[in-house]
Amino acid sequence: MGNRSDTISIDVAPVEIAQRRHAPLPENREVVFDVQDLGVRYGATTAVSGVDFDIYRNMITAVIGPSGCGKSTFIRCLNRMNDLVPGAQVDGKILYHGEDLYGSGVDPVEVRRRIGMVFQRPNPFPKSIYDNVAWGPRVLGMRKDLDERVERALRGAALWEEVKDRLKRSALSLSGGQQQRLCIARAIAIEPEVLLLDEPASALDPIATTSIEELMHGLKRDFTLVIVTHNMQQAARVADMTAFFSLEVGEGRRTGVLVEYDATEKIFTNPSDQRTEDYVTGRFG
Amino acid sequence: MRTTFQEELDLLEATLQEEGELVLRALRGSINALEQRDHELASEVIAFDDDVDQRYVAIEEGVQSLLARQTPVATDLRLVLAILHVNLHLERMADYCVTIAKLSQLVPDVEPSPRFVEGFEEMGARCEEMIRVALDSFVKRDLEGAESLVDLDELVDRANRRVVERILELGEAPRMREYGLRMVLVSRALERIGDHAVDIGEQISYLLTGEFREFSDASHSHPRS
Amino acid sequence: MAVAAERISLRATGRSRRRLRLNRVMEGVAVLAASVALAALGIVVVSVVVRAWPALHVSLFTQTPNLFGGPGGGISSAIVGSALIVAMATGMALPVGVLAAIFMTEFARPRVAAAIQLFLDVLNGVPTIVTGIFVYGLLVIGHLQSAYAGAFALAVVMLPLVARATQEVLLLVPNTLREASLALGVSRWRTVVGVIIPTTLGGILTGTVIAMARAAGETAPLLFTCSIFAPAVSTDVTHALPNIPVLIFTYSEQPDPALHQQAWAAALVLMAFILITSLTARGLLARSRRKLTHG
Repeated sequence: MGNRSDTISIDVAPVEIAQRRHAPLPENREVVFDVQDLGVRYGATTAVSGVDFDIYRNMITAVIGPSGCGKSTFIRCLNRMNDLVPGAQVDGKILYHGEDLYGSGVDPVEVRRRIGMVFQRPNPFPKSIYDNVAWGPRVLGMRKDLDERVERALRGAALWEEVKDRLKRSALSLSGGQQQRLCIARAIAIEPEVLLLDEPASALDPIATTSIEELMHGLKRDFTLVIVTHNMQQAARVADMTAFFSLEVGEGRRTGVLVEYDATEKIFTNPSDQRTEDYVTGRFG
Repeated sequence: MRTTFQEELDLLEATLQEEGELVLRALRGSINALEQRDHELASEVIAFDDDVDQRYVAIEEGVQSLLARQTPVATDLRLVLAILHVNLHLERMADYCVTIAKLSQLVPDVEPSPRFVEGFEEMGARCEEMIRVALDSFVKRDLEGAESLVDLDELVDRANRRVVERILELGEAPRMREYGLRMVLVSRALERIGDHAVDIGEQISYLLTGEFREFSDASHSHPRS
Repeated sequence: MAVAAERISLRATGRSRRRLRLNRVMEGVAVLAASVALAALGIVVVSVVVRAWPALHVSLFTQTPNLFGGPGGGISSAIVGSALIVAMATGMALPVGVLAAIFMTEFARPRVAAAIQLFLDVLNGVPTIVTGIFVYGLLVIGHLQSAYAGAFALAVVMLPLVARATQEVLLLVPNTLREASLALGVSRWRTVVGVIIPTTLGGILTGTVIAMARAAGETAPLLFTCSIFAPAVSTDVTHALPNIPVLIFTYSEQPDPALHQQAWAAALVLMAFILITSLTARGLLARSRRKLTHG
């Protein structure tokens, strides 16, 4: 374009009107977990029953509910961690990409390789920072370019800058928030598809909590995340979809049930079920 | 149960109702001042606006504090947002009442035709009814009541159009033209009060359904008939 | 201006005064009991040192016993023999004990684990003389006394100790650590080898060292299986080897006062060994604890 001093061209940028961010439409999303009428019993007591919903890919799905509503029990079904609890019996189905997680011939060890988990209390191994992250890949035979893999995982967990100069130091020398991010790095180092987080920030201070929440936003590009939290505001802040579990009390029994599952925005502005309303507004109990 | 939080919410709602009552009094006062050409009463109405503003500020601060400290969600969140908006609408109504009172002081000394007095009396009464319906619907969480405001507003709009037509018939005399001009503004102020009442109805609807929607286009475009 | 508060007395009176006195009395009794325990140890140590003193020479550790008694000579053959036997016993008891403990805590169902636990407790309660007779019947009759038979008997004594100590440190490992590994898609066995054992190594070694110290002093099992008086230093484990406990036992029954002194000296060597191993064990355990709690 020739510059002619007597013409003044004004580029008018199209004015974008801030649109109300619509709740994501899960219909267009790939289903990772198709939970069908799931129930969990410990001996004679039923911990959870009749849970039925879909978990979508590259989304953060939060599971909230009062203590004892079975939310942790539920999330531990998703990678068969409940197998480790003696007497736990799982009914119903969980289809993972169409394959029944509890089908015959399914190896729980293989399930857990694809579906990682981060726990309530940071639980790094009493090894060096490097070895914490490298151990999983090493054991699982991903020895190629291990250093790069460790760096990638630590960067992914937003921890690299803080620990790159002391990779050989004990992981237990890190702060609680750093330890939890190390656990996330350890989990993503083996490149799972799903990351389950069981109250990942409940043992952390507010600043460390914020860093974990920010991290989750970033992680959902590469992973599907499911988070159990007793902190409703945390669910409101991080989750795309929210499942509300509650306790059904009857005949002296208390069973966890799924009450409502919807876009987080809907759950926190206009829930459909009165029990959800009572819980999120703090009128529960 | 968050008792403190609930008490704070209840207090905010009560203050809002109080503000509404004050607006009703201001409206009645301004109409009376206009009809009876009572300049003193008009001054009182203008000064009375401070009382409304006081409630307005109290509610704004209350909402700010609730949002900052209690992070309301679901119905609570919608209630707080609705209170915030209704508060603003009520304050605007009070401002229109002040406008009417000021206009009544500026009216030149002509004998108004009884038809004007009737017209404003009717509009004032309809607006009062609308404010009352709006406030009651809010208290009772009455969606039907809130939606009925659209129909009530239609009546105010019609009365407005009639008043305007009569003003056009006032003739060419300069005093009459000035008088007419002032009366158009009064009529316009009353019509806007009706619109704000409809907006309050929309907030009630949002509070109850969780959906944002305009009751009708009537409150924004005014078809000439 | 602060208002002066009403004077209150913080001295004990009445009932609280009685409580105060009782408290002092009980404290005194506890201190006394602790002193008695310390004194017992002190008396043993002092008397052993005093009586062993005349026999304490370098030659004690370097020379073999005099064939015909009398002053001079040493106990080197017994020291070598004891070291060999204890080492062999450890070699047998350590893997079995550790694996049994791992099986109990990591793999077995609670009932099975409880059954094994009971079995180990019973084994621990068996008098060592009975263990000796048992091994005598099993390995010595029809054969000869041998160092490995003695080591086997000692291993039976060590096994419950090693297993118990290992089990205790394995139970100290927080479950969250196991979950962390399993959640990575790592099998149970790899979890045990890669996470649990490295974490508890200090504790396992502690248990082993304590068991070794205990085994080194055991006499009864060796009387039946490995009680020979041999003057020469030997490392042939298919034959009975001289060892410190049996040496103490036999020397103390001899009329020769020089041999008595050597018996006391051997006892001192044994005590020193136990003291050193116990201290080592404490150090190892402290290290292991540190590893589990902080950097």
